[in-house]
Amino acid sequence: MAVPVLKQGDVLIASIQSALTDHDLLQLKDELAEKVGRFRSRGVIIDVTALDVMDSFATRTLRGLAATTRLRGAETVVVGIQPDVAMALVELGLTLDGVATALDLEEGLEVLANLTEAHHRGR
Amino acid sequence: MRETSFQTEASTILFGTVDLERRLRFGNVAGEDRAHIEGVKDTVLDHLDEHLAAFFDHLAQYEEAQGLLRRADMMDEAKRLEREHIIAMVGGAYGHDYFEQRFRLGQLYNRAQLDFALFMGAFHSQMSSIGRRIMARFPKDSGKAFLHFTSFKKVAFFDLGIIVDAMMTDREQTILRQQEAIRELSTPALQVRDRLLILPIIGLLDSYRAKQLTDGLLQAIRAHRAKVVVMDLTGVATVDSKVANHLIQTVAAARLMGATAIVTGLSADVAQSLVTLGVDLSKLSTIGDLQGGIEEAEQILGLSTVRIDRSPSTVV
Repeated sequence: MAVPVLKQGDVLIASIQSALTDHDLLQLKDELAEKVGRFRSRGVIIDVTALDVMDSFATRTLRGLAATTRLRGAETVVVGIQPDVAMALVELGLTLDGVATALDLEEGLEVLANLTEAHHRGR
Repeated sequence: MRETSFQTEASTILFGTVDLERRLRFGNVAGEDRAHIEGVKDTVLDHLDEHLAAFFDHLAQYEEAQGLLRRADMMDEAKRLEREHIIAMVGGAYGHDYFEQRFRLGQLYNRAQLDFALFMGAFHSQMSSIGRRIMARFPKDSGKAFLHFTSFKKVAFFDLGIIVDAMMTDREQTILRQQEAIRELSTPALQVRDRLLILPIIGLLDSYRAKQLTDGLLQAIRAHRAKVVVMDLTGVATVDSKVANHLIQTVAAARLMGATAIVTGLSADVAQSLVTLGVDLSKLSTIGDLQGGIEEAEQILGLSTVRIDRSPSTVV
């Protein structure tokens, strides 16, 4: 099932609604990499609240996605990781290094604002 | 209420039908033994009080048995059960009731904190008393007397096995109950400011408790929408590499939930041992004490504590 990507100002929001296949994930990655350029977005938020399971492929894809969008000028924040999922990821040693995380969408927007602000100051 | 349910449960586990047969087989109690016992039944029962006295007189010699001997209610029950015990031993029916009765006896001695070795001594006295009567029954044929007594002894040893198991099961269950109680001493996550949680950890951390603590913390982060968590280890005397890894995992999991975790209150000893163990704590942000941790957390949250100037004129 494809993931809807919403554009809100200069932020793209991908809200995952159900369990994803590897193919869906790759499609999401390609779509976001392309849309970040097209909409000149400053940030990407990926909402994984609906996911009960995240495997190594999903975390690797998310890391790759974050690195890709950063190269294209947008920061990525993953929001809504469930407690059980967080524990499972850590136990498996999948810690999403290099990807910002936040509790929910609202927090994610705030984190993004701080990140991009720092980014602009750094310039 | 709880006590009773434990008892029934334990006796069911220990004394299922299969177990009964297995035990009798292990005890090697055969048909001829039953015949021998039947043969000396009257000899044993005629001097029942003497055999009982042998058991309790042995106990009475020792200070350690006073816990049982001074409790009239326990003594009454013990005497009644011991009496039933001997009657049942020569009764020939080694069914479920027989096992239950021995089990109750074991539990009773356990509750009276009867020393194990002392119980064995008293049991032996009783056996000797019975043995003497059996020998007297066959004055001219000591071989035959020996055979009869051996059969009787088989049952006695078989009984001992049950009583010992009952005593051990009872003790194990006490330990289990205590462990449960310790686990129930939960580690609360306390909210002290908007979006700031404190997790005071006190006592020994084992893997089970560490896991429970992590689960609780992650749920609390979600429930309180926490942004910063201060984990205070002032009350933890020792941290080994396993627990340290658990802490690192907890911090990483909290980060995935979008919260920053700060560890405070590592004592000098703990810090030294962690360094000696070579645990990589570079991923933890640590601060000396709880106060420092809260100050740091407030800074992350953009809060500041200001002293209110209460000059005498403003105080009503």
